[in-house]
Amino acid sequence: MGFSRADPLVKDLRRVLSSDRVRAAPLERSIMGRDASIFEGGQAGPVCFPISTEEVQGCVDAARRHGRAVVPRGAGTGLAGGAVPLEEPVVVVTTKMNRLLSVDADRRMAWVQPGMINLDLSRATAPYGLHFAPDPSSQQVCSLGGNVGTNAGGPHCLAHGVTSAHVLAVEVVLMSGEAVVLGDPDGWTPGLDLRGAYVGSEGMMGVTTAIAVRLTPDPPAVQTLLLAFDSVDAAAQTVSAVIADGIVPSAIEMMDKNIIWAVENFVGAGFPLDAAAVVIVEVDGLPGGVAEEADRVAELAVERGGSVRRAADDEERALLWKGRKSAFGAIAQIKPNYYLHDTVVPRTRLAEVMNQVYEIVEEHNLQVMNVFHAGDGNLHPLLLYDRREPGVMDRVHAAGSAIIEASLAVGGVLSGEHGIGIEKRDFMPLMFTEADLDAQGRLRRAFDPNEMANPGKVLPTGASCADVNALDKVPEGVWG
Amino acid sequence: MSAKISLGIDPEELASCVACGLCLPHCPTFRVTGEEWASPRGRISAMRQVQDHGMAVDQAFLESMDTCVQCRGCEPACPSGVLFGSMMEATQAALVRNRRVDWRRWGFRILGHRRLLHFLSRVLAVAQRLRLVPSKRLGLPLIPLAQETLRASGEDVWLFTGCVMDAWQRSTHAAVKRVVEMAGAGVALPGAGAGCCGALALHAGLESQTRALAARTMKALGGSAPVLVDSAGCGAVLKEYGRLLGTPEAEAFSERVQDVHEWLAANADQLPSAGQRTPDVTVAIHDPCHLRHVQRVHQPVAEVLSRYATVVMLNDDGLCCGAGGAYAAMQPELAASIRVRKLEAIERSGAEVVASANPGCTIHLANAGVTVRHPLEIVDEALEYDR
Repeated sequence: MGFSRADPLVKDLRRVLSSDRVRAAPLERSIMGRDASIFEGGQAGPVCFPISTEEVQGCVDAARRHGRAVVPRGAGTGLAGGAVPLEEPVVVVTTKMNRLLSVDADRRMAWVQPGMINLDLSRATAPYGLHFAPDPSSQQVCSLGGNVGTNAGGPHCLAHGVTSAHVLAVEVVLMSGEAVVLGDPDGWTPGLDLRGAYVGSEGMMGVTTAIAVRLTPDPPAVQTLLLAFDSVDAAAQTVSAVIADGIVPSAIEMMDKNIIWAVENFVGAGFPLDAAAVVIVEVDGLPGGVAEEADRVAELAVERGGSVRRAADDEERALLWKGRKSAFGAIAQIKPNYYLHDTVVPRTRLAEVMNQVYEIVEEHNLQVMNVFHAGDGNLHPLLLYDRREPGVMDRVHAAGSAIIEASLAVGGVLSGEHGIGIEKRDFMPLMFTEADLDAQGRLRRAFDPNEMANPGKVLPTGASCADVNALDKVPEGVWG
Repeated sequence: MSAKISLGIDPEELASCVACGLCLPHCPTFRVTGEEWASPRGRISAMRQVQDHGMAVDQAFLESMDTCVQCRGCEPACPSGVLFGSMMEATQAALVRNRRVDWRRWGFRILGHRRLLHFLSRVLAVAQRLRLVPSKRLGLPLIPLAQETLRASGEDVWLFTGCVMDAWQRSTHAAVKRVVEMAGAGVALPGAGAGCCGALALHAGLESQTRALAARTMKALGGSAPVLVDSAGCGAVLKEYGRLLGTPEAEAFSERVQDVHEWLAANADQLPSAGQRTPDVTVAIHDPCHLRHVQRVHQPVAEVLSRYATVVMLNDDGLCCGAGGAYAAMQPELAASIRVRKLEAIERSGAEVVASANPGCTIHLANAGVTVRHPLEIVDEALEYDR
């Protein structure tokens, strides 16, 4: 279906926003049909770029009048397809709402617009010695609104907690067009914690228009260690040993042999190419404690046959982290496409599940690389493929399902931080009972009774007993 | 124009983007618009729609392509090594092949005709003094009425003089030449033989013009002496002749090309040190994109310049200033918005002077009231104090 200039919805939207901020050309809608996930072929309706809460309200009102759903979108770096539009909804893009509204250094908080880039916030608050703790690998590009939507994690969330722990309040435009503030910037909320229900709702309750974030003081001292091991088992055991020892590093990240090779080729950080796995451990705090903890981590690694390299300065630290954070993109040197999984398993079962992952992938004749947040057992197997190879998608999805089943079998969960989106929607019944899913559906409809906010995501249809069911299946072509 | 055309992009290259989005913050047009089609990922997606899915080339496609500065800031940021620049060049060439009406096809011809360019420049210089030209709106610098004559001083190295820079900023070449001579080399000049390097034609997709200009440039700069270039944009394309023409001769030529700062950094021991009388100036270095992202040799500028001035770097991740060759003239609004970010970074640096090794950036930033010099003009002046 096309959207001409004369389309009544487009005309209505252009009454709210200037006409250059409502785009509806076929090419523009097709470009908005995907995010950073593997789901291509989503179908966007008119694409809007509001710059204020009032404009978002106007877009939502216009969509409602025309019976259209609304899909919020930030930088489009989500990996679960949460921002992939289904059935031509109005796409509300927040990238032009990228201002830092206010900083209160004494209260260690700031109000930001949802399109602000995660790293830009930490850069802007650096002069106060403060930063935003959640640091997804895509932090140089992902938007804070998206972080709220997926309850994003990141390497440094091991000690500091994920996004939910750093969001004090959110301003939300509900599908009724009403703007409400959930939570309280002072950090205490009377009554039910609606803020807590909203963070991680993947755009299914409304459009985030402002966020009160908690800011974290920069640590006085930081030490980063690169541990290299001859086996994945030894690496995983060291991770468990560190935590068992009572140390809570700010980050523990693991990378296996295959990904080390790809990253080293791109960054040249001096990662050992002969190691079976490397673990990056970062400890921060007061200088005395940091030195002691770093020594203890090194000791535990050496006891398990590991070798230790300590970053000598900030530059070397930055290089190690650049290697870790560019891992996902670097794999295209090997295959043009990847499917990045995100499951969580108990830390003590890490090595066991990783070995299963290697077996599953071999069975399906694919390649895999592992790079993940080992400290909290958050696995990220990357399946590599070339989508032009006939039949490969079936194998990719079969392997993906097997990995999810293996993770759940040891007591793990579906997703650590990427969200459910389209990707894991149909796996939800593996983890939740019908009663669980029904309760989640009812909570969602308390905010959005007609399911017009980002429909077709997260909750498998059929589990919701709503009379309105915009979508009963993922449209043809969405799965690659 | 609304037609189905073939873009002729290498399918492997086009397939290499995984849409991770890590390029977005490094793209100046995405930074100022927040619009996906004004980002490398969105542009690649648009190219795929046309090349792989047969979507017609329409206004939205042209806008997506033509708003690209071709700064190539996305390339070093891309962990997958996507060759965005060559895909954009192929796309622009395909648009030209499909008879896109474009004044640039004729406009850039002038750059290849040295005498005509110099004559028109003289006319323009007079018109500027008579206030007949809205220079600022057109993004033009004040063009000098008369130019000094440069004379060869030896055959150790070539100094590539180019087109617009030779017609409008020859005093920069003179300063560069003096500094290279101070480092002990005799400088040969191509004279009328070599004019435009073809960079602007290449970025506009004018393939045959680019090839013709490349052939002429290579002929005028024969032998085996290093070819030194004091304009980042020209240097980048001279270094790419090998890839563009694909001949052994062109490859050998490209091997000889060096940015003049690269050469000076390698011969730094030959340069006299700054004298006692050299005034202390704080200089912020603006890295031209084609030095930083394409040639990836921006460090030597700081190495050379820091011997003679207090150097500060801009903390904006090397984002483009918006000049982009003819871009500032083609897309004045976007170019100005992009420049705002650069001006803020300059302001933060606290420097009095900005050094930029590319004529386009120099003109674009000077039009916003910034004092901009070529790095080697600053070096030349510092050396002058001790002469």
